[in-house]
Amino acid sequence: MSHLTRLLVAVAAFLVLAWIPAGLDVGLKFDAALSLVWGFGILSLVLLTGYVGQVSLCQATFAGVGAYAAGMIVNTFHAGYVVGIVVGVVAAFALGLLVGLPALRLRGITLAIVTLGIALVFDKYVFQDHLFDWFTGGSAGWRVDGADLLGLRADSSSHLLAAYEVLLALFILTSLLMVNLHQSGAGRRFRAIRDSELAASTMGVSLTRYKLLAFGLSAAIAGLGGSFYPLVAGSVSPQPFWVFTSLQLAAIAVLMGVRYVPAAALGGFFLAFVPDILTRNGHGTFLGRYSYDISYDWFSLALGVLLIVQLILLPDGVWGDIHTRAAKMWSGLRHRTERQVSLA
Amino acid sequence: MTMLRVRDLYVRFGGVVALDRVSLDLNRGEILGLIGPNGAGKTTLFNCISGVVSPEAGQMFFEARSLRNAPAHERARRGIARTFQNLQQWNSMTVLENVSVPMDALGRRSTLGDALGNPMSMFAERVTMERARAILHVLDLGRYADTKAGDLPAGIQRRVEIARALAVRPKLLLLDEPAAGLDANETWRLAELLHTVRDRFHVSMLLVDHDMSLVLRVSDYVYVLDFGKLLARGRPADIRSDPKVIAAYLGESTHEASEPRAVIDETATGEQAPLLEVTKLAAGYGPLEVIRDVNLSVRPGEIVACIGANGAGKTTALRAISGIIRPRSGRVRFGGRDIAGRPPEHIAALGLAHIPEGRGLFPRMNVEDTLLLASDNTGDRVDPRVAYEAFPRLKQRRWQAVGTLSGGEQQMVAIARALLARPKLVMVDEMSQGLAPTIVRQLFEMLVILRRQGIAVLLVEQFVESALEIADRAYVFEHGTVGHEAPAADLLADRKLISGSYLGSAVDEAAAVPLGANGNGHRPDVELMETLALKMPAGVKRAIEERAEREGRPAGAVALELLEGAKK
Amino acid sequence: MSEFAAYTVIGLSLGAIFALAALGIVLIYRATGVLNFAHGAMGMFSTFVAWQVFYRWEPSWLPGWALTAIAVLVGLAFAVVLGLVLELAVFQWVRTRPPITKAVITIGVLLALQSAASLIWKNNQYHLPIYIAPQTWTFQVAGVPIGANSIVIVMVAIGLAFGLAAYLKFTRMGRAMRAVSDDPVSAALWAVPVGKVGAVSWMLGSFIAAVAGILITPFINFDTTSLTLIIIDALAAALIGGLVSLPLTVLGGFVLGLLETYPSIWIQSLGFSRLIALLVIVGVLIFRAPRGMPVASR
Repeated sequence: MSHLTRLLVAVAAFLVLAWIPAGLDVGLKFDAALSLVWGFGILSLVLLTGYVGQVSLCQATFAGVGAYAAGMIVNTFHAGYVVGIVVGVVAAFALGLLVGLPALRLRGITLAIVTLGIALVFDKYVFQDHLFDWFTGGSAGWRVDGADLLGLRADSSSHLLAAYEVLLALFILTSLLMVNLHQSGAGRRFRAIRDSELAASTMGVSLTRYKLLAFGLSAAIAGLGGSFYPLVAGSVSPQPFWVFTSLQLAAIAVLMGVRYVPAAALGGFFLAFVPDILTRNGHGTFLGRYSYDISYDWFSLALGVLLIVQLILLPDGVWGDIHTRAAKMWSGLRHRTERQVSLA
Repeated sequence: MTMLRVRDLYVRFGGVVALDRVSLDLNRGEILGLIGPNGAGKTTLFNCISGVVSPEAGQMFFEARSLRNAPAHERARRGIARTFQNLQQWNSMTVLENVSVPMDALGRRSTLGDALGNPMSMFAERVTMERARAILHVLDLGRYADTKAGDLPAGIQRRVEIARALAVRPKLLLLDEPAAGLDANETWRLAELLHTVRDRFHVSMLLVDHDMSLVLRVSDYVYVLDFGKLLARGRPADIRSDPKVIAAYLGESTHEASEPRAVIDETATGEQAPLLEVTKLAAGYGPLEVIRDVNLSVRPGEIVACIGANGAGKTTALRAISGIIRPRSGRVRFGGRDIAGRPPEHIAALGLAHIPEGRGLFPRMNVEDTLLLASDNTGDRVDPRVAYEAFPRLKQRRWQAVGTLSGGEQQMVAIARALLARPKLVMVDEMSQGLAPTIVRQLFEMLVILRRQGIAVLLVEQFVESALEIADRAYVFEHGTVGHEAPAADLLADRKLISGSYLGSAVDEAAAVPLGANGNGHRPDVELMETLALKMPAGVKRAIEERAEREGRPAGAVALELLEGAKK
Repeated sequence: MSEFAAYTVIGLSLGAIFALAALGIVLIYRATGVLNFAHGAMGMFSTFVAWQVFYRWEPSWLPGWALTAIAVLVGLAFAVVLGLVLELAVFQWVRTRPPITKAVITIGVLLALQSAASLIWKNNQYHLPIYIAPQTWTFQVAGVPIGANSIVIVMVAIGLAFGLAAYLKFTRMGRAMRAVSDDPVSAALWAVPVGKVGAVSWMLGSFIAAVAGILITPFINFDTTSLTLIIIDALAAALIGGLVSLPLTVLGGFVLGLLETYPSIWIQSLGFSRLIALLVIVGVLIFRAPRGMPVASR
C-alpha cells in the first residue's frame, strides 16, 4: 500500500469509528475511550516487541507515568490539559530511554525479568509511597475536573465523547506513522535487530542507538495513551497501572499477534469492553436453576488460558495467523488467475 | 598495498592457546584462503579480524588503522563486511529489504523522516532500492527480490548473504565457511560467484572453509594453520602437495612396528543381517542441508570407520542417527526397528549409544556418579566395578568431578559408560581430538576390546591412519554424501585415495614455501613496507617475497635488484 | 542493639522464604529450561487450598494441631498434582521452543492461576494466616524474642535445602536430574528419561513453592496478589546463585531477606524493598551473566 492509500484508509477508519459511541450510554462511552488508552499500550508493544524484538513487561508503567505526569501538571501548575499531555509523553519517553539502558546488554528472559522488576517497583513504590506524593497527588491521586482540553472542560457532559474523538484521531495517526515506519528504512533496521542482532551490528546498524530509540518511542506511545487516562476517568490511581495490567497487555499483544498494528486495536477493544459487558450481562440464571456471575476475573482467567493454548499451537497470534492465511490465499488466487491468463 | 596486516596475534581460551603469535598479510585485490584441521585456530583468527573475539596480544591493522576496540558497526563503516556460516539472515524480510539495510544504516537516515514519509526520505529510499536491485542483478538474484529470505533454499540464501555484505560497500569481505551445507555442484558455482564478485565489485576477500576444493580453487594465496600456529603458506598448488599439510590433516603416516594389525575374523561378521541400516538420510541445521543421501550399514561385531574432510557431514550423520537432530528424509533402521525421528532417549534405550564430539559427559558430576548413571538406565544394573577393572586410573579419580579430568581420562569415562551400558552399537565421534598419541592408541585398543565383547563400533575420525588400523570397513564422506566405501586395508594401502578426498586433487611432489626463520612464516620488515608502498599487483608482491624467502635475503633487496635489471 | 537483632531475625525469616522459592525456580529451570514466572502464583494457590481446609473445615473432634497438619498435607498434595498437571498439559509440548516463549507461557499460567484464585477466594479480603506454631510461642535468644514461627521457617528452609541436596546426590532420580541440568542433550544420549525428569522437577518445584507459601502467611498481607509477586524476590535470589548453584541460591535468599529488612530501621516505606530487589537483579545481571542465560551478545 502506498502512503496515500494508507492515509485514505486511515481517514476512512476515523470517519467510520468516530460516531459509533455517540448513541451509547455513558458506561460504554467510557469503555470506548478506555479501549483506546489501552490500545496505545498494546501499540507500544507492537513497536517494541513486534518490530524490534525486545521483551518488555512494564508498558502499563509507562502509561502510568504519562497519566500521573499529566495530572500533576494540570493540578500543580494549573496548565491546560494539552500541556499535561505533552509533559506526560516526554516523561514517559525519558523513562523509556532509562529502561532501555539495561536492554543494551540483556535480552530475552533476563530483559523480561528486569522490566517486570521495574513494573513492580513503580507499582508498589513510586506510585504508592509518600515520598512521591508530589508526583502522584497522594493516596487520593489527582482529580482533573476543572481541566481544559482545547476549550472543552473536563466536567462537561460531552467530555467523554470529545476525549474519545481526540484519542481516536491520535490513535489512528500513530498507527499510520507506525505502519509507515515498518515499511521504511528505519523500520527495516528495527526488524533487522529483531531477526538477527549479530548480523545487524556487523552490517552497520548501531544497536545502541536503535534499541534506545525503540524503548523511548514505545514508552512515549504508551505514555500518550496514559496521559489521557485522567481526562477519561476523572482521576488517577495506581490500580489501573499495576503489574498485572502490564502482564495483561503483554498477554493480549501476544495473543492477538504482536507484530501487527490492527492487533493493538483489537486487543484494546477486548481489554476495555469485554470485562464491562461481561459484568453487565454476565449474570442471571442458566437453565432456570444455576445462577452465574461472570466478573472481570473470568476474563483474566480466559486470557491466561488462551495465551497458553495459543503459544502451544499458534505462535504468531490470532491476527498473525489470519494475516498469514489471508496472504497465502491472496497469492494463491493471483497465481491461479495468472495461469489462466497465460493459458488463454 | 597491504590492506590487512595482522601481527603476532595471541588468543587464549581458558587453558588452551587458540592462536600462538600468528601473523598474516592480505593485499588489495587478493582472495586469501585460510585453512587448517579442526581446532587449528582459523575460526578464532577469523573472529579476531571480524571483531567477535578480542586478542590478548598482537595487532591488527586495516588500511594502516588499528582495528583494536572497533565495535562491529564501526568495522562495517571502515569497509569490512562478513558473512556467517550459519546464515544470519533477516528471515522475515524480503531479499531486497535484506540488501537495503546496510546501505541505509551506513547512510545515516533519519527515523522520524522515514515515519513521516517526507520527500528527502522518499528520495533516499528510491536511491537505496535502485542500488540494492543493481547488486541483486549482478548476483542473479533479481527474481527473488520480493521473496522472504527465510523461504529460500540454503544455496540462494548464501548468495543473499554475500549480496547483503556487498551492500556495505566493503573493501574487504570476510567469508565464514561459505560452502557449509552446499553440495559439489553448488560449491563449484560458489567459486565462480566469488571470482565474479571480486572482479565486478573490486573487493578483496578472506575465506575460511573446510572445503579444500573451494578454497584451493578460489584463492590466490593460502595460509595453513595447525595448533594455533602458522604451518605453511603458499599458492594453492603448492599447499596441496605439501607433505606437512597432508600430515596435519590425515595424521602421521607412521606404522608402529610394535603392534601387528589385529586379525579380523571375517566369517563372524560376513553373513549377518545389518544391525544399523541407514538409507538415503538427509539432515541439516536451519536452512542448511548438510547431509543428503547418506547410505551406510553396520553389522553386529563390526568396526566401521567414517572418514572424510571436516564439513563433509560425518558428525551430522551420527547426530541424525542417534536422534539429536531430526532427519529430514531417509530411513534409519536399528535392530529391525525404524528409529528415524524418534527422540534420542528412546533410541539410546534400544541399545544405540552415541559418544559425541566433546564426549557428552556431565562436567559437575563425579566419576562414581557418572558410572552409576550409566548403569541406572540400562536395566541390567551392571556394577561400576567392571569399569574400574578396565580403567584402573579412573578408580583413583573416583570422587573427582568429570570436568576436572584430563582429556584422555574423560574419554575413558565415556568408553567406560559403553562397557557398563552394554549397547549393541557404539558410535564414537572424534575420539582422538586433542589427545596425545599414546593415549589415543590406548583408546583405540579399548574399542577393539569392545568389539570382542560383541559391541559393534561406528567410528568417525579425522586421523585416518589410526582409525583404518582397527576398522574392518570404511566409508569416505564427501560434500554431505558417502563418496565411496571400501575395506579398511585397501584404503590404508593407497593413501592417494584419501588425500585426494581431503585436499581435492592428486598428490604432487612439488614443495611448498619453506618457513622463514622465526617460525611463524613472517619477517616483519617495516621499513620495507614503507619503501614498497607502491601499488603493485598482489601476485607480484607475493612472488618477490617468496623469492626473498628462498634466497634468504630481505625482500627489498630482491625488489631493488629487479628494478635495476628492468632499467637496463 | 536488640532492635538490630530483631530485624535480623525478621530478615532471616523472610530470606528463608525467598531461598525456598528460589530453590524451586532454579530446580525447574535447570531441568526443563523454563523460567517459571508463575512460581509464586503456584505456591499461592496451593497455600489457599491449605487455608481452605484450615479455616473452613472445622470438625470438632479434631485437635488443633491435627487440623493444621492435615491442612498443610492437603495443600502440599495439591501442589504436587498441580506440578504434574502443568508438565503433562502444557510444558511437555513445548520442550524445544526458545526459553522466552516458555517464559511467556508461564505468564499465561500466572494470569490464569491468579484469576482463578481471585474468583474462588475473593481478591481483596484479608485472610487469616496459617500458623504452624502457635503465635504466642516465643523464645529468648540473647535477649531477643524470636517467634516460634520464625524458627520453624528457618529450620524448614535449611532442612529442605539439605534434603534436596541429599536427594540429588544419592538417589537415582536425583542423578538423572543432575545430568539433565548439566546437559540435556547428553542426558538424552544416555537414555535418561527426560520426560520423567521434567515431571518430577515440576512436582518437586511446586511442592517447594507451596511450602514457602504456607510458611510466609504470618509475615505478609495474605491475599492473592502479594504471594504471586514474591516471584521478583525469588528471581533475585535465584540470580545470585547464577541459576546454577543451589547453595548460592539459598545464601542469596538469606542475603536478600536481610537487605530488604534492614532499611526499614531507617526508612518507613512499604515499597522500598521492591526497589532493593530490583537493584539486586540489575546488579547481578549486569555484572555477572548467569551460565546458560542469553545475556550478552553471542
